[in-house]
Amino acid sequence: MSNRQKFIALTLLTFISLIAVGALTHHHGDAAGLTTGNTADFLGSSTGGQGATSVPVSQVGINQLANESGHLHVAINFVWLLITGFLVLFMQVGFAFLVTGLTRAKNAGHMMMMNIAAFAVALIAYYAVGFAFQFGGVAPVANLGGASPLNNIFGHGNAGVIGLHGFFLQSGRTYDVGVLAFFLFQVVFMETAGYIIIGAIAERISFAGFILAELAMGAIVYPIYGNWLWGGGWLAHLGASLGWGNGAVDFAGSGVVHATGGWAALALAMVLGPRIGKFNKDKSPNAIPGHSIPYVVVGTLILVFGWMGFNPGSTFGATDLRIGVVAVNTLLSACFGFVFAMAWTAYKYGKPDISMSCNGMLAGLVAITAPCAFVAPWAASIIGAIAGLLVCGGVWFFDHKAHIDDPCGAISVHGINGAWGIIAVGLFADGTYGDGWNGIKGPVKGLFYNGHWGQLLAQIAHVVVGFAWAWGVMWLIFVIGKRFIKIRVSPEVELEGLDLPEFGVLAYPDFVLSSSDVGHAPTQTGAVVGPPTTTYSSGEPQSDERSPQ
Amino acid sequence: MKLITAVVKPFKLDDVKTALTEIGLPGITVTEVRGFGRQRGHTEVYRGAEYTVEFVPKVRLEVLTDDDSAQRVHDAIVEAARTGQIGDGKVWITPVEAVTRVRTGDMGNDAL
Repeated sequence: MSNRQKFIALTLLTFISLIAVGALTHHHGDAAGLTTGNTADFLGSSTGGQGATSVPVSQVGINQLANESGHLHVAINFVWLLITGFLVLFMQVGFAFLVTGLTRAKNAGHMMMMNIAAFAVALIAYYAVGFAFQFGGVAPVANLGGASPLNNIFGHGNAGVIGLHGFFLQSGRTYDVGVLAFFLFQVVFMETAGYIIIGAIAERISFAGFILAELAMGAIVYPIYGNWLWGGGWLAHLGASLGWGNGAVDFAGSGVVHATGGWAALALAMVLGPRIGKFNKDKSPNAIPGHSIPYVVVGTLILVFGWMGFNPGSTFGATDLRIGVVAVNTLLSACFGFVFAMAWTAYKYGKPDISMSCNGMLAGLVAITAPCAFVAPWAASIIGAIAGLLVCGGVWFFDHKAHIDDPCGAISVHGINGAWGIIAVGLFADGTYGDGWNGIKGPVKGLFYNGHWGQLLAQIAHVVVGFAWAWGVMWLIFVIGKRFIKIRVSPEVELEGLDLPEFGVLAYPDFVLSSSDVGHAPTQTGAVVGPPTTTYSSGEPQSDERSPQ
Repeated sequence: MKLITAVVKPFKLDDVKTALTEIGLPGITVTEVRGFGRQRGHTEVYRGAEYTVEFVPKVRLEVLTDDDSAQRVHDAIVEAARTGQIGDGKVWITPVEAVTRVRTGDMGNDAL
């Protein structure tokens, strides 16, 4: 036996003896988990149980139990709220992959920097004023317990327009566990609206212009509109004021988050104008393929995973068992959206388009976000299927008809399908959930279930007001803003790629980037630049380098 | 001495290399290149907008031989690289004036 073989044999023997020791000792605790957590734990955790071995059979004992039960109820909901909030936070990764994959390698550093900067800048804006504007007067959230200090809204009765408690999480005594847990969940929602816009402004916005856009999203555009739906504002009270169903209903934010982000993105894309080379002189669009389809797919899958926090978390509590329905509806809609977008592009263009199929999946997610708690699985499937078709139509419309350059399809995915999701509540809500929603007695029911137009009217008001607000305010801010700061990079910078001029570093310094795309500088360094005059689809070579073959 | 240059489909590189090894060739230089020929690339659709893949990826092989084996090497490459489809590539032979092996300073046919 060689030394090597002896060594191996000895090692094996050691491991076998280790396993044997583990297997031969039978002493274990509560392996089945049946006795862990019992009266002793209750007595140890509740007040007044010092030294006692059982709960007293008296009002005192009942109160102790009730207190502990209430505390557990809220604790479970806190855990749910925070964990789902963390999932939504992870969606940031998905967005970063998605939009970077859908754009060119020469701008990859800029895209990634925008994603992470959006996170920090918008969060601070929301912390300072946004949260107070949105939820300063939301009143106590039942699932989170306590007497909430968020009780000051400007606007009388049904006409609330802006919240006023909670600036810097301090004003109005808002340094409170319930408020801060709620803040975490809400701030990541705002972040979602904040990075939706990146998809439409990609590859041409200056970093300064971008920071302005994020500050506007975090402090004004998102929070104030959010107040009208979720913070006790006037749109939520359309049921009480005008008798329109349960008022405008938006469970997890098809409108508040996604349509707001999508329409703000539309305003930004219109003010910025298209990328160089996107449209020909006759306004026909050119394709500018993204640099990483794997990024797009990974990003989409991460977003689906994050959405499992976005929608089910919007119950604000695990004690609301509707979360099962919400989660399944969300998945169904996502998959139907994917399949319909895949099928449509295959039918229309001959091959299933990977990035459009991914957009279809996201469209399904966006559309089910408002109705996910109120509809049956069959309705979720239809909502997703229509979303998959709408996103294909939307991308085509903005490319071929509106001539608005949206590199990642943000306007079609989030704007159009956000609107569709809001409308879907007014059609498909089946009356099994939402009793007392927005203070109106009775569950949320759509046109197809009670034949009444009220709920649908409230939803249409939500769509129209949401568009006017998000598009209008963002457009105004940028039209004014561009008088003071440079919102778009110069053509030279755009052609060279934004990474070096804006940040002094390349995303992929070890690679020579190819130059066959429209609007692409011939090389990364020493590029001969200038707006291209030839069109991409004409079949004319743009470079003098010709390789024989 | 001759330089044989071939531009072939990337997935045919292994076959060509095997064929050249079989006839006892000492060395090949391979480069990844892109270009177009009579087809001028091909058209695809991305997110509903048409675009042309103008420069198709290819590999370029360069082989130095003595005058006698040039035709044999040429034929081996042509045979190994052929699929019969559009875009199979081209092979051509050019005369070489001088060759030196850097390590030893051998020149001419000795350097091959």
